[in-house]
Amino acid sequence: MATERTRVMGLFDTEGQTASAIRGLRNDGYTLERVHGPIPSHVVADALALPKSRVGWFTLAGGITGFFCGFLLAAFTATRWHLIVGGKPIVALVPFVIVGFEFTILFAVFGNVLGLISQARLPRFGPVTPYDPRLTGHKFGVLASCETARKNDLFRFLEAKGAEIKADEGGQP
Amino acid sequence: MTETALTYQTVDDTVLATLRPPEKSYWIAVALLFAGILMGAGCWLYQILTGIGVGGQNNPVHWGTYLINFVFWVGIAHSGTLISAILHLFRAGWRNPIARAAETMTVFAVCTAGLYPFVHLGRVWMVYYMLPIPSQRTLWPNFTSPLMFDVVAISTYLTVSSLFWYTGMLPDLAIIRDRAKGTRRKIFAILSLGWTGEFEQWRHYTRGYLFFAALATPLVISVHSVVSWDFALGVVPGWHTTIFAPYFVAGAIHSGLAMVITLMIPLRKIFHYEQIITIGVLEMVAKTIVFTGLIVGFAYGTEVFIAWYSHNIVEMETFRWRAFGDYALEYWIMVVCNTVIPLLFLFKGVRTHLKWLFVISIFVNIGMWYERFVIIIGSVAHDFIPHTWGLYRPSLVEFGIMIGSFCLFFFLFVLFVKHLPSVSMTEIKEALPTGGGHGN
Repeated sequence: MATERTRVMGLFDTEGQTASAIRGLRNDGYTLERVHGPIPSHVVADALALPKSRVGWFTLAGGITGFFCGFLLAAFTATRWHLIVGGKPIVALVPFVIVGFEFTILFAVFGNVLGLISQARLPRFGPVTPYDPRLTGHKFGVLASCETARKNDLFRFLEAKGAEIKADEGGQP
Repeated sequence: MTETALTYQTVDDTVLATLRPPEKSYWIAVALLFAGILMGAGCWLYQILTGIGVGGQNNPVHWGTYLINFVFWVGIAHSGTLISAILHLFRAGWRNPIARAAETMTVFAVCTAGLYPFVHLGRVWMVYYMLPIPSQRTLWPNFTSPLMFDVVAISTYLTVSSLFWYTGMLPDLAIIRDRAKGTRRKIFAILSLGWTGEFEQWRHYTRGYLFFAALATPLVISVHSVVSWDFALGVVPGWHTTIFAPYFVAGAIHSGLAMVITLMIPLRKIFHYEQIITIGVLEMVAKTIVFTGLIVGFAYGTEVFIAWYSHNIVEMETFRWRAFGDYALEYWIMVVCNTVIPLLFLFKGVRTHLKWLFVISIFVNIGMWYERFVIIIGSVAHDFIPHTWGLYRPSLVEFGIMIGSFCLFFFLFVLFVKHLPSVSMTEIKEALPTGGGHGN
């Protein structure tokens, strides 16, 4: 039989309090579900010990694809009609590398955007609960869960860390 | 109040206050700018219906104000990317208050620049000739031409800078969503893509933003290099030189930084951004202008020196004529406005005084416009063979289109500042002292 669990969000004023709460929650055996913040705080990120994002692989794949697309496009159009000037090559390396370079950047950025939205799971329009509008403004939020029997301990723990407790109600549209 | 009095909340309050419903004077300004756009569009329509001959371009000068303005606006765009991407990589904190407005300037300046090749085409409906698409003509663009590099480079630049701008705005759009009600909330809920500031989102966002900056940096350098090759790959005296790429890039950043000051000072005053866009920030821009001005001045000197050192009589005549010929006034406006006047920023009293900053930025803008005039017109008007020499003056139609394009740029910018956050709230918060400003 599954144990009933309770989720509690603590809202903090500073990144230091947030990082301290994150470490404490882990040490005390609570489950850390989500952490929100108005800025990409390194202090909080360090406390979370998040792995490196894989967005870069999408960017790299886009860039490599782009170079070949650009270069091959220029070569393709040049070979549709051989316009020979002064015996110069039809598939000219230097000018086509310029086209390849621009396409490298363009497709790398497309890959970057694709990587960002797929990895961060955006867009996401469903409700997020619990949520507080101040989380994008000036509050850090830590959502933790525990067995319902330990609920009061979790409340006390978060309050001791300086949190304002946010009940699990209402979401962000 | 001092700068340290800023908190996360006061940053939000200050920036969100700029998005309140505008006063009547705002709509009057919008209407005037729109009238300017209509006037420019009318001139363009007249040119389409009558023929490209209504412009002043004729033998031997076929590239007139349309190309001058194209290069000018592409140049203006560049400092936006310098500030948002290059200075981001260098972790220059002073860029944060002006990065958003500078990025916006980039996007709108590239849009404005992008209009000019269309205007210059004459038969604008033939623009698809430049696209590599199959057609019944079985004609394909030739990518050995720098003009085709330009099509690719400018399209890439517009796409990349727009995506960079929008991605950078996501957390701020979520801030607006969380404070809005009704339809406005729904609109910003869609625009913010459901951003909630989860660290799982930040983890990918910061990485993606870093790559954006890393990609935009070589792009910005390549774009104005490509623009310079529109000239340098020709054999025209005054154009055919290897110095053009770095010379154009430095000039582009020089003009763009001046435009940043021109835009920031009224923005700061009207929206009460004094605590955010501090004098110190503007001072840093002014110092950078001194640096870019010296590079541009060095390039001017190098051009003249190499013309003399080469002992090529055509090159020597071109540069003698630039300084003392029919366009001598334009040449000296260029030299004084771009290299001498910015040196006034060496004096702290000048670079920390708003009126001086604003006036000098206008002089640099004028000087950089004339730089393009001198390069583009001056070279083809006076090239190899004396009997083909000729002069060029813009026609009223060209002036109309030019004024229209300036109105378009400012129209878009004025609409932007009242509907989207003109300062990045997130980046300002990041720059605040750690733990020192998280108000309730």
